[in-house]
Amino acid sequence: MNTSQTSIRDILYEPPGVKTKRMIQVFTVLSFIAVMLLIYVAVRQFYITGQLDARYWYFFAKPTTWIFLGEGLAGTLEAAVVAGFISFGLAFLMMLGRINNIRAFQAIARALIEFTRGVPTLLLVYFFFLVVPQYGITLAPLWRISLPVAISASGIVAEVLRSGINAVPNGQREAAMSLGMKESHTFLKVVFPQAFRYVIPSLIAELVIVVKDTTFAYVVNFPDLMQNAKVLISNYNAMLPVYLVVAVIYIIINYLLNKASVYAASRTDSTTNTAAS
Amino acid sequence: MSAEELLNQYGNEYVQALFTTWKLTAISFSAAFVIGIIVTVMRVSPIKPLNAAGEFYIQVFRNISGTALLMLVVYALPYINVVLSYFSCVLVVTILIPSAFCSEYIMSGMNTIGRGQFEAARALGLTFMQIIYRIVLPQSLRASVLPLTNLAVSTMLTTALASQVPMKPTDLTGIVSYINTHAVGGVTAFVISAMMYLATALFIGWVGNRIDQKVRILR
Repeated sequence: MNTSQTSIRDILYEPPGVKTKRMIQVFTVLSFIAVMLLIYVAVRQFYITGQLDARYWYFFAKPTTWIFLGEGLAGTLEAAVVAGFISFGLAFLMMLGRINNIRAFQAIARALIEFTRGVPTLLLVYFFFLVVPQYGITLAPLWRISLPVAISASGIVAEVLRSGINAVPNGQREAAMSLGMKESHTFLKVVFPQAFRYVIPSLIAELVIVVKDTTFAYVVNFPDLMQNAKVLISNYNAMLPVYLVVAVIYIIINYLLNKASVYAASRTDSTTNTAAS
Repeated sequence: MSAEELLNQYGNEYVQALFTTWKLTAISFSAAFVIGIIVTVMRVSPIKPLNAAGEFYIQVFRNISGTALLMLVVYALPYINVVLSYFSCVLVVTILIPSAFCSEYIMSGMNTIGRGQFEAARALGLTFMQIIYRIVLPQSLRASVLPLTNLAVSTMLTTALASQVPMKPTDLTGIVSYINTHAVGGVTAFVISAMMYLATALFIGWVGNRIDQKVRILR
């Protein structure tokens, strides 16, 4: 993403002339003042409503606060990892159905993929939280959040995997077949490992969606970051600071995941290039 | 409860919920689209503070979780004297998050435009704003119809957050939790909502495909 942004900016305009330079300078100063004013208004609003008072912020200096938030974060990551693995398994099956030669399997897989992509995660969460228990099935809180999140992500992951399969050159399959490998063997040992490497960046990016969706954990009383934040709020009576800090934590996690995805993409690109040359 | 009983008892609520979801989706997507374009122009402009502000904006709103943002808007903003109705709170969230993704899609749409186009435009003496509005945006929008269609669907999915605030009338997700806390709705209550979401998603996808076929630039 970053390289493309610089490239588009570079080709959008040539080195500015004297007049344009002057204009850019004027607008730079003006927009800088505007941004600063916005920040000032926001901080002032915090100040005049008393939200910058030490009593709203002092507990962030206590290690217990961070340990508690850390436990919540561990819960979030646990749910995300479990959901990620389940999602991958489901997606693998859907992808197999989609690339299968049997029409019925294709239709079922397509229907499942459309369903998971067209229904909000929250609705699935309510399904596992409110509807499933009515049939006498009690699930642990971890499953109540991981299962809906996993199902919700599986459709997109299935399509990502399929795009990876399509990116593997057909010669690979043909070569494996001509060596006498069975169809299933060819797929599992030759085609899929390569496809998987192609889609690693997209799979990491998909984790961002999974992490975001696990915030619904408070609906099912699973102790994730959000749930622990709510406990902190009731302890210290500091709504705004806690929610603000939690939001920043989520932003940082997902930002890092996105960066990891971009990094993985740059690595796969270079390795495929060397393999080709 | 059978589907018939459910619809007899809660039919009106379902229709209202469906319209609420549609309304939220339509307003959010249109607003997100406009903001997305503005932010994109900020990001490619030669003015550094605007670049930084645009970049900050999209990094915040594409990485924040919808719930965390909703909680901030609903429960925390009143502490700094910003009080919005529940409906507006949901709208703020379902506009801000998709707008960041919208900007990202338009940016990648820009990369499909050939270098020569800019050189030609500059050779003709077009100004930066003219290049943006006459050359860059039309082409990158035409190239990003399918991502934007997916964005419309995910905007619809984001509006399910509306079920987290006591809003009247509630949305398609809220009604499932409403029915199941008042009666034993069983799987049917869930399936009805899911089908309505699904039909809406398929409709959006169909419209998006039609538009894409009409406007796509064949290269």
